[in-house]
Amino acid sequence: MATLPDGTPLPGKLFIVEGIDGSGKSTQLDLLRKWLTNEGYVVVFTEWNSSSIVRKTTKKGKRAQALTPLSFHLIHAADFADRTERQILPALKAGAIVLADRYIYTAFGRDGARGMDPDYIRKVYSFAVRPTVAFYFRVPLKESLQRILVGRPTLKYYEAGMDLGLDPDPYKSFRIFQGRILERYDDMVDEFGLTVIDATGPLVEQQQTVRLIVEPHLEGVLEVERVAWSKALVEGQLHGRYLPGLGYEQ
Amino acid sequence: MTKIEHYGYGVPGLKRRTLPGKLIVLEGTDGVGRSTQIALLLEWLEANGYAAVRTGLARSTLASRGIRQAKEGHTMGDLTLNLFYATDFADRIEKQIIPALRAGMVCITDRYIYSMIARAVVRGVDEEWIKTTLSFALVPDVVFYLRAETQDLLPRVLNAGGFDYWESGMDFLPLDDPYEAWIEYQTRLIAQMDAIAAEYDCTTIDAARPVDEVFFDLRGRISELLVEMRPARLGKKME
Repeated sequence: MATLPDGTPLPGKLFIVEGIDGSGKSTQLDLLRKWLTNEGYVVVFTEWNSSSIVRKTTKKGKRAQALTPLSFHLIHAADFADRTERQILPALKAGAIVLADRYIYTAFGRDGARGMDPDYIRKVYSFAVRPTVAFYFRVPLKESLQRILVGRPTLKYYEAGMDLGLDPDPYKSFRIFQGRILERYDDMVDEFGLTVIDATGPLVEQQQTVRLIVEPHLEGVLEVERVAWSKALVEGQLHGRYLPGLGYEQ
Repeated sequence: MTKIEHYGYGVPGLKRRTLPGKLIVLEGTDGVGRSTQIALLLEWLEANGYAAVRTGLARSTLASRGIRQAKEGHTMGDLTLNLFYATDFADRIEKQIIPALRAGMVCITDRYIYSMIARAVVRGVDEEWIKTTLSFALVPDVVFYLRAETQDLLPRVLNAGGFDYWESGMDFLPLDDPYEAWIEYQTRLIAQMDAIAAEYDCTTIDAARPVDEVFFDLRGRISELLVEMRPARLGKKME
């Protein structure tokens, strides 16, 4: 069940994935999404830092390196609030499945590692819907760093935690920063009852575990009317050549 | 000297106890004459040798543009809007207000957390939540709450271009008529501001009076506050 902060249950279900960069959580969520869509459920997907009205400001602040831990925290909270108000809540009220790539725990981990008061952060995000299941993809720091850094990618300023002055070398800074975030995630497992998935195992196995956990929650969830037009085709003796997805379009 | 105090959680990384400048806040609902008074006060302060700077709601480098664009679409929810304003406020506190106070300036702020709290609470946002979210605000040296009733404000608002969508609460009130909505919203807002002004020890200033009277009133009060910043040889009296 997904519930409002005051405990009111919502008809929809909210599944979220968390984990440090390189934990493979997005891959797993994508596989879950495809499965649920195939099963005919109404699925709404939302990801961290993607609000159409807030994202531009965040981008501007990042580009100018003008964000402090406080404004970094608040602008991401604004982004999350917009997605909650316009995407997550309406979908859950309508009884749909909402999948979120990263959730409030990302803010708790990152902003906590940036020196924000953990208590303050939690209060700012206290309006968040409580997820049905919060998956935490746990991976050792070394493994995730290997996955991320293997191609020597350009690390972004805030992504590497360069604003904290941990180390002038972005790669070293990234390692330290990710390590701090990882510690916070591990502490949150008990605090929020996160469902831990061993993200070092084979992808198929991880996905199977995720699906087994999700499946019992799917009863009564909003489903798409499958092949809604099939009857019309039969009764009307039509081929449906202009219907999308039947391969007749060209 | 501004003693650094917060309403709860502080600004991370701010270690000093005091700052040499002064933080003066002018609060009040729409059309009450805040910007006129600030314009007069700035000139007067500078004439007396004080370095003065103004800042106001939604004027941060970081978020002002984003807020303006988001408000145009009328699609922003309450939580989003409040957090957007909180971001703007954080940016101004850290990038404008604290540096100005550190440099020994008199910082006059057009609105502060009090009207942000009032406008949120009137819209049904959880009062504890908005207060906590904004609790990193520095406690100002003085807060003047410019207060006038809707009848006094009405001519000024009409003269300044009529009823604004947000200033009439049309984002949440079930009223189609801008005039009715404006009266209803501003009445609620004033009542809420009264409560908050009492809670946060604001100095209430009767802003229904003519501009010059309000100005002389404010000037007198601010002079007293600035006495300690004045070099002894200039004497206590300000022109």
